[in-house]
Amino acid sequence: MAQHTLEVIVENSPGVLARVAGLFSRRAYNIERLSVGPTSNPETSKMEIVVNLDGHALEQVIAQLDKLINVLSIKEILPHSAVPTVHDTQPDYQN
Amino acid sequence: MSQMNGASALVASLEAAGVDVMFGIPGGAILPAYDPIFSSSIRHILVRHEQGAGHAATGYAQVTGRVGVCIATSGPGATNLVTPLADAAMDSVPVVAITGQVPSVAIGTDAFQEADIRGITMPFAKHNYLITDPADIPRAIAEAFHIASTGRPGPVLVDIAKDALQKMTDFKYPTSVSLKGYQPKGAPDAQAVIDAADLIAQSSKPVFYVGGGAIKANANRELLELAQLLGAPVVTTLMARGAFPDSHPLNLGMPGMHGTVSAVTALQKADLLITLGARFDDRVTGKLSTFAVNAKVIHADVDPAEIGKNRFADVAVLGDLRLTIAALIPVLKAALAKTRPDLTAWLHQMNSLKAAYPLGYDMPEDGSLSPQYVIERLGKISGPETIFAAGVGQHQMWASQFVSFENPRTWLNSGGLGTMGYAVPAAMGAKVGAPDTTVWAIDGDGCFQMTNQELVTCALNNIPIKVAIINNESLGMVRQWQTLFYEGRYSNTNLDSKRVPNFPMLAEAMGCVGLSCDRPEDVDATIEKAMSINDQPVVVDFRVNRDAMVWPMVAAGTSNDNIMIARETAPDWDSQEL
Ligand SMILES: Cc1ncc(C[n+]2csc(CCOP(=O)(O)OP(=O)(O)O)c2C)c(N)n1
Ligand SMILES: [Mg+2]
Repeated sequence: MAQHTLEVIVENSPGVLARVAGLFSRRAYNIERLSVGPTSNPETSKMEIVVNLDGHALEQVIAQLDKLINVLSIKEILPHSAVPTVHDTQPDYQN
Repeated sequence: MSQMNGASALVASLEAAGVDVMFGIPGGAILPAYDPIFSSSIRHILVRHEQGAGHAATGYAQVTGRVGVCIATSGPGATNLVTPLADAAMDSVPVVAITGQVPSVAIGTDAFQEADIRGITMPFAKHNYLITDPADIPRAIAEAFHIASTGRPGPVLVDIAKDALQKMTDFKYPTSVSLKGYQPKGAPDAQAVIDAADLIAQSSKPVFYVGGGAIKANANRELLELAQLLGAPVVTTLMARGAFPDSHPLNLGMPGMHGTVSAVTALQKADLLITLGARFDDRVTGKLSTFAVNAKVIHADVDPAEIGKNRFADVAVLGDLRLTIAALIPVLKAALAKTRPDLTAWLHQMNSLKAAYPLGYDMPEDGSLSPQYVIERLGKISGPETIFAAGVGQHQMWASQFVSFENPRTWLNSGGLGTMGYAVPAAMGAKVGAPDTTVWAIDGDGCFQMTNQELVTCALNNIPIKVAIINNESLGMVRQWQTLFYEGRYSNTNLDSKRVPNFPMLAEAMGCVGLSCDRPEDVDATIEKAMSINDQPVVVDFRVNRDAMVWPMVAAGTSNDNIMIARETAPDWDSQEL
C-alpha cells in the first residue's frame, strides 16, 4: 500500500480536530501522520494527513471527510491507483 | 433588530424556522429557555423521558417531512437523547435537538450535570454546535435546520451554555444560510443520467432497488412513472415500504434478511440494479461478496459517500432523488425508443417466484393466536391511509411483511439502529404531525416495556394513538435465533409478560383504554373496538403464540442464495427456471 497525503482545509472552529480524528478512528482507518497549521486566512487551518490506504478505501476516506461541514476542501498530494471493481469492505456479520 | 436574552433569541429563532411543536423536558441548564417557551406560539409537549422526546421528533419528521424538534437539559437530559439521535442518524431523519449546557465558565470542570454532549454525538450527528455566545444562537439554529433538512437528512444538535441563554443580545434571524463546506447536490449531472439510461436500455434483467431515500426525497410519483415506463420489477427495502404501492403488480416486496423469495432472488439474479436512495446495508445484501454477482449497478443517491461504500457503482448519479428520477424519465424514454430490451422472460420468472412463494404463516394448531394474523387484520381493517410505527423484533418484520403499504410516510420503524422502544414515542410524534390520521403502534411486549411511559404524555395531551402489543411473552426475535442457532437454549429471553405486567391495567393506569384479545375469532371485533375510540389512547394486549417465527430468513453472514422459507426448508429452485 502506498502512502497518500491529503491536504485538508478546515474551518477554524472548535472541535474540528476531534471531528477529523474521530472520523478516522470510527471508520477504522489509521492515520500515519497528522499536522495542523495556519493558512493565510485566519478563519481556516490546513491539515496534512498521511494515510496508508489505496483505491477504494482512500476514496471512502475522502468522501467521508468531505461530509464534515467544517471541511472546506480536500486535495490529494500524491496520485493514487485505479479503483478495483470488487469491494468487500464489510465484515461478514455474525450478529 | 431587537434586544433580548439568548433564551428569547432561541425561541424567536425556532419560531422563525417554522417550528410548530417540540418535545422535551426542562431542567437547570435549559431552564432560561423554558420561560419564553411558556409564552411562545410553539406547542411544547412535556414528555416523560427524553428518549421519548427524540423518537417523537423522529416520528413527527417521518410523517410530515419537516424537521422534528426535541429539547432537553444538560447532562442526563442530553445523554437520554443519544439513542434517538443515533437512531435518526442511521435512518436519515431530519431532527434538531436543543440542549442546555452548564455555564461556559464551568465547562470542563466536571460541573453538576455536565456532559460533553457535542463530543458524545460527534460520531453520528450530521453536525453539532456548542454555543457560548448569545449572538451566535440565531445563526446556529438557522444552520441546524438547513443542515438537518437538506441533502441526506439527519440529526443536528445545538448545545447552548446556560449563560448564553441568560445574557442579552441583538436578535436578528438570518435570511439565508450558506455554508462553504456543505453544498448538497440538487439536480444530477446530465451525463450521469444519460449513462444510467443507456445501461438500463441494455439490460434484460433489471430491478429497481428502492431505499428510504425515495421517501425522504418525496420521489414516489416519479418512481411510479419510471417503474411503469420500464416495466421492471421493484423491491422496497424496510425503510422504503410505501414508496411504491404494495398492490402494484411490479412490486415484489421487501428484500433482505426477512425479505420475500422473489425480492431477494430478483436482486441476486439481476443483471442490473437500479439503486434509488438505498445503501447496500448488510441486512439487504447478506454476505456482500456473494450479493448480486452478475449485476451492474446504477447508484442514485444524494450522499456521495454512499456511492461505492459497500458496492462498486458502474454508474453513479449524484443528486436529489426526485430530481434525478424526473430527469431520467425523458432520457430513458428516448433510449427505449431506440432499443427496448425484452423483459418478458425476466418478469415471468419473478412473477412465478412471487406466486410460488408468497408470504404466509400457519395458524397455530392449539387454537392460540397467530401474531401474523393479528397484524394482517390490523392492516386490512384500518386501511391504507393508516400510519404504522413498529418496535424492533419479530413483530416489526411481520408488520413490514403483512401490512400492505400503499402510501409513503405511512410506515415508521427503526431500521438502521434497530432501537427497541421506538414505536410508542414515534407513534406519538406521528399523531402530533398527522392528527387526523389513525396511528397504530405495532409493538413487542419487550419493546413496549422500554418506552410505554409516553402513553401518559399521549393521554394528557390529547394524542390518541393506538397500540397493538404483540405479546409473545418473549424477546421473540432473540428467542428465534436461540431456536435456530443455539439449540433452543432460551437464555434470558422469557419475559413472562402474559403474567406481569398486566398490560390493560397498565394502560388504564396511564389514562388509556386497555383491551386484550387471545382468540382468533375475537381479533376483528377487538380491532374495531379500538378503532371506535378516538378520544383516548388505546392499548390492546394481543396474547399470541410464542413459537411463531419470521420467515423467509437469510441467516446473518450467509449468502442471499441460501434463503430459507421455513426451518431447514429452501425454495425448490429446481422447479424454477432461473
Ligand atoms: C435497545 C435494544 N436492546 C436490545 C436489542 C436486541 N433485540 C432485538 S429484537 C429484541 C427482542 C424484542 O422483543 P419484543 O419487543 O417482545 O419483540 P418480538 O421480537 O418478541 O416481537 C431484542 C432484545 C435491541 N434491538 N434494542
Ligand atoms: Mg415479544
